[in-house]
Amino acid sequence: MFSGFLIEILRSAIESIKANKLRALLTTLGIVIGVMTVIGVMSVISGFRKYIATSFSQLGANVIYVSKHPWFANVSRKEWLEILKRKDIGIKEFQALKEYGTSFKYISPLDRINLEIGRGEKEASDVVVHGVYEDFSKILNQDVNLGRFLSKDDVKYKRHVCVLGQDVVESLFSEESPIGKKVKIQGRQFQVIGILEERGEMMGNSMDNVVMIPYTTMAEFTGRNKTINVVVYAEEKEKSREEIRWILRGVRDLKPGEEDDFSLNSSEALISQFNQMTSTFLMISIAIAAISLVVGGIGIMNIMLVSVSERTREIGVRKAIGAKSSEILGQFLMESVVICLFGGLLGIILGASITKLISIMSNGNVPFHIPVWSIVLGFGFCFTIGVFFGFYPARKASKLSPVEALRYE
Amino acid sequence: MSELIKMKNVTKVYPLGETEVPALRGIDINIKKGEFISIIGPSGSGKSTLMHIIGCLDVATSGSYFLQGKDVNKMNENQLADIRKEFIGFIFQDFYLLPDVPAWYNVSLPMIYDRIPPHERKEKAISILESVGLGDRLNHLPNQLSGGERQRVAIARSLANEPEIIIADEPTGNLDSVRGEEILGILSDLHKNGKTIIIVSHEKYVAEKGKRKIYLKDGRVEAKG
Repeated sequence: MFSGFLIEILRSAIESIKANKLRALLTTLGIVIGVMTVIGVMSVISGFRKYIATSFSQLGANVIYVSKHPWFANVSRKEWLEILKRKDIGIKEFQALKEYGTSFKYISPLDRINLEIGRGEKEASDVVVHGVYEDFSKILNQDVNLGRFLSKDDVKYKRHVCVLGQDVVESLFSEESPIGKKVKIQGRQFQVIGILEERGEMMGNSMDNVVMIPYTTMAEFTGRNKTINVVVYAEEKEKSREEIRWILRGVRDLKPGEEDDFSLNSSEALISQFNQMTSTFLMISIAIAAISLVVGGIGIMNIMLVSVSERTREIGVRKAIGAKSSEILGQFLMESVVICLFGGLLGIILGASITKLISIMSNGNVPFHIPVWSIVLGFGFCFTIGVFFGFYPARKASKLSPVEALRYE
Repeated sequence: MSELIKMKNVTKVYPLGETEVPALRGIDINIKKGEFISIIGPSGSGKSTLMHIIGCLDVATSGSYFLQGKDVNKMNENQLADIRKEFIGFIFQDFYLLPDVPAWYNVSLPMIYDRIPPHERKEKAISILESVGLGDRLNHLPNQLSGGERQRVAIARSLANEPEIIIADEPTGNLDSVRGEEILGILSDLHKNGKTIIIVSHEKYVAEKGKRKIYLKDGRVEAKG
C-alpha cells in the first residue's frame, strides 16, 4: 500500500511539473549543466585513458626500456638540460647487462632510424628500421606470420636479412610472397626472411610500418653503437630494475651517492603519468560541476518555495480531506527530487552527446565510452540535491495549518 | 440516536498582535447521528471558527469536544488528520478543486490518503460522480465545468471516504438560486440516506433546510430551534 502512495505522489509531482514545463526547465538548468559537465568530462577522460592504455600496452607490460632519459619527466628546463647531457647508452651497457643479468629472460639492444625501403619501382617511405637481437620478438611478444624471425647467427654474422611489418609488405608486394625476395635499405640488398604479425596503432601511428634487421648489420651502416636503448623482458620487474641499476652504475662508473644517469622506462609508468595529468583536469571539472549543482540546488529551493506558496490552498484542501503533514512533506519532496532527476537525465543526455561529438571529431581516437558509475554518480547527486534543497520548502508546506492554508487567497 | 458530537463550553481565541480576539466564547452543542443541522449567523459571529473546530481542522482554546466518544482536544495532528479522513467530508463555498486534474481525480483524492488501490479509486470516484449526475463530466477539468457542476464534484469528493458527517460551508454562496437549490437537494438526499449534515450559512433560505438550527452571534449560541 505504501508503494502505491509513492506512485501516487510521483504521479502528482509529474502532473505539477507538466503544468509548469518552462519553469521546471529553467529551474533545472543549473543541475543540467552540472551533470552535463560531470558526464562529459568523465566520459572523455575515461575514453582518453582507455585509448592511452591500449596504445601503450603496445610497448608491452613486462618490458623495461633502458634509455638515456625518461620518457616523461616533471622537471624544470634546467634539470632537463642536465638530463640531456647524460652519457649515451651504448653497446657496452647492453653487453654488461646480457653478461651479468640473471633476473630477466630476454634482452636486446634497440636502435631505430626512419628510412625509405625500395623494391624495384616501389618504395615504402618513413619506415622505422629496428636494429635488434634475436630475442626482440619475444620481448615484444610479436611473432612472425610467415617465415622466421632473426636468429642468433643472423646477428653474429651481420647477415643482410630482414623481417617486414604488414604495412611495408603492402607497400612493396602485391600478390607474390615476399619470403626470399630482396629489398633495398640504404643502398644495400636485404633478403626478406619473415613477416611480422600485425600490431595496430599507438598514439595514432601505425606500428606496422617497420622493418627489423640484425642490430650488428645496422651498426655497420649507421656507424653508431653508442646511442641506443636496451630492451629487457622481465617477469619480476622490480627485481630486474634493481639488478639493472646496479649493473649499469658499475659499467658507467657512478660513485655511491651520485644519481643514476640513465632511466628505466616502462609502459605502466607512462600510463600512470597520463592518469595523473588527467586526474587534475578531472578534479577541476568536478569542482566546477559541484558549484553549478549547488547553484542549481538553490534554484530548486527557490522555485519550490514559490510552488508551495502558489499551492497553499491546495495544501489546505489536501489536509482537510485527511492528508497528514508527512504526506504533504513527501509530496513536495518528491516534486523537487523529480525535477532534479529530470535535470540529471537531461544533463546525461547532453553530456553523452558532447562525448559522442568529441569522439567523432577525433576520428574515433577517443572512443565513445560513458562509464556506468558516472551515470550513477550523476543521478545520485541529483537525488541528493533534490532532497537537500527540497526539504525546507516541503517542510514549510507540511507545517501549514489547514485553516490558514484554506483561507489563503 | 446516539450522540455524535458533544461540545461543552468551547472557546477559541485568536492572537492578534498583542491583543487577543475571542471568536468563540463558550459554546455548548450536541449533535446526534443522522441530524441535519444549520449553523446560522452574520459574518464575524464565529460560525466559520465553529465549523473548523467541529471539522477537526482546528482545535479549541478551552472546553471539551467529544466526537463519537473520542476526546478531540487530546489528539495530535496525525490523529486529527485521520479523523478528517475517516469521519468528515468538507464542502466549501469556493469548491476548492485542484485545477489541473479531471473531475474523477478530484473525487478520488481523499482515497489516496486512505491507501485505496488506484483502479478501485477510479471506479468508486466514477460511481459517486454518477450518483450526483455528473456521469458525463468525468474527464472534464474544473474550469470546463459550471459552478453548480463544480460544487457537485466537491460533494462527490466529500463522500469519497464514506464519512459520517458532511460539513458544508456556505455551499450555495457562489451559485445562483436554481443551482443552489439543486445542491441543497443533494444534501437533503444524503441526509435521507443517513448522513449527518451540518450546513454553515448566513442565508435564511439555506438555513431553512436544516431540521435543527443553531443561531450564533458574537461567539455565543443565541438561540436554538
